Amino acid sequence: MTGSRSKTAVLWSVVWFNLITLSLPTIIILGASFTSGNIVQFPPDGFSLKWYGKLWLLEDFKAAFLRTVYVSVICTLISIPSGTLAAIALARYRIRFRTALQVYLLLPFTIPLVVSGLGMMIIFGEIRILGQLWPVGVALCVINLPFMIWAVSATVNALDPDLENAAANCGAPPLQAFLTVTLPAVMPGVITGALLMFILAFNEFLVSLFLTDARIVTLPVSIYNSIRSVITPDLAAVSVVYIVIAFVAVWLLDRLVGLELFLRSK
Amino acid sequence: MSSDKPAFKYPLSWRILDHAENVAALWPRRWSPLTGYLLLLPALLLVFVLVIGLVYIFDYSLHELDLATYRLKDAFSLVNYHVALKSATYRTVVLRSLGASFIVTAITTVLAFPYAYVMVRARSSGTRKFLLISLFLPFFIGQVVRAYGWLIILGKEGLLNTLLASLGLPPIKLIYNYPAVVLGLVQYMLPFAVLLIAPAITAIGEEIELASESLGANWVKTFRHVVIPLAKPGLVGSAVVVFTLTLTDFAMPEILGGGTTDFIANSIYDGFFQLSNPGLGSALSMILVTLGSVFVTVLFSLAGTGTLVSRENVR
Repeated sequence: MTGSRSKTAVLWSVVWFNLITLSLPTIIILGASFTSGNIVQFPPDGFSLKWYGKLWLLEDFKAAFLRTVYVSVICTLISIPSGTLAAIALARYRIRFRTALQVYLLLPFTIPLVVSGLGMMIIFGEIRILGQLWPVGVALCVINLPFMIWAVSATVNALDPDLENAAANCGAPPLQAFLTVTLPAVMPGVITGALLMFILAFNEFLVSLFLTDARIVTLPVSIYNSIRSVITPDLAAVSVVYIVIAFVAVWLLDRLVGLELFLRSK
Repeated sequence: MSSDKPAFKYPLSWRILDHAENVAALWPRRWSPLTGYLLLLPALLLVFVLVIGLVYIFDYSLHELDLATYRLKDAFSLVNYHVALKSATYRTVVLRSLGASFIVTAITTVLAFPYAYVMVRARSSGTRKFLLISLFLPFFIGQVVRAYGWLIILGKEGLLNTLLASLGLPPIKLIYNYPAVVLGLVQYMLPFAVLLIAPAITAIGEEIELASESLGANWVKTFRHVVIPLAKPGLVGSAVVVFTLTLTDFAMPEILGGGTTDFIANSIYDGFFQLSNPGLGSALSMILVTLGSVFVTVLFSLAGTGTLVSRENVR
């Protein structure tokens, strides 16, 4: 960074304000989950891990957690092939109406989530799959698919087409060139995208609210339902599950592709 | 005529690949112009679910609720739009959502730009990593959990009110109001905004800033006349995303607003599940879709598409 001391002071004070705003809820939830009291209060009653112990006894929580993992896995498994192939097709093949198709594939972002959720609720009701768990995974894939396509597109665009030409020139049939040259080259994008899809599906609340009922409620919805009744420290411990998963996801993302990837200009 | 050498054995992976290649060859050569569309097909079909959903909602919005049976009447009518546009309640809700979108976009942009700038220009990679991690952690924690954190901080017996009480001050009502919703939304939008602005700043060579400063501009002038104009594509992209996400948000007004500061999405939800009137809820949905599209179109035509629509060259 160039420039004067006043620049550093002004910019860094904004940055610190941001850092506090960004991390305060997380820190407070972590703190609240370690209380030994029966209510969330300040200062906490004392330190204990008892709410984490209770977590294992909450059957509702465990079931909701497993359901959330299940829908997130479905979402990720569908998005990997569909998003990867779409990104490769858009970057590598002669497609008419490319811009129109790109805009169409951004529809999950441009249609408000509440409308997408209600629309899918109506459709799933019409074809009588509302109330099952797997359609929730499909729905979560649909609304986040542009993330997958974007992540893979970035790596396809960075791949020199001459590498694929060279493979073909050396006698590789199309599929072999695809599997041994194109696919390994775009793998970082696929991994980034898959990780984003999983974590976003794991956190998705509004669409799950429309598509689940009391029998198949997912974790974000069950946290939301508990917030509306009474706030107890066990809810903080449940929320810590999310914080831990976020830590793991950030660590994985950094190890696998490097967070600096997101600062690169196109 | 016997050979001592064992016959060369094809590795299994080669055989599998050959079979796969034969299967792929079933796709006739003259269809090869269609290969791209074939690869696109799964994604197109997935997104098509949303199109069908939108068609259903549009259809619902054109049918009035029959209060005798609580089903939508068969006849087409514009009653739902009439109700939605005439009602003072819904007008307040729409104006509140739009107002919040402008406020949140403004605050988020002002906060996110310095963060993105410091992060991109940081000399030490450690600082950059710290700023990135601080950004990604909340990004990966959903709205509900973050809103819950704010409830613990701002609640009636929360952190801030306990601090006030220990100073001998009376408690103040910090949640279930507009500022709380705006705070929650700004915190939610910050990572989106920074991640959309940062690549635009990376694209600005640092030597351009140095040139500006060596010609006598102080850093404020350099920002105003060089950095911010050059970062415009990122700023436009960030503004569009933050504005539309705020306009359509449900969780923050629901949890931090506690029913006092409903946005359009909350009214749509209530239309469907409290009033059991899918027609009215659908009409509100169509109004929300229209508002969002109009805003995006206006901003794009004023400021260009920014970084959101890529124009990569294809061979």
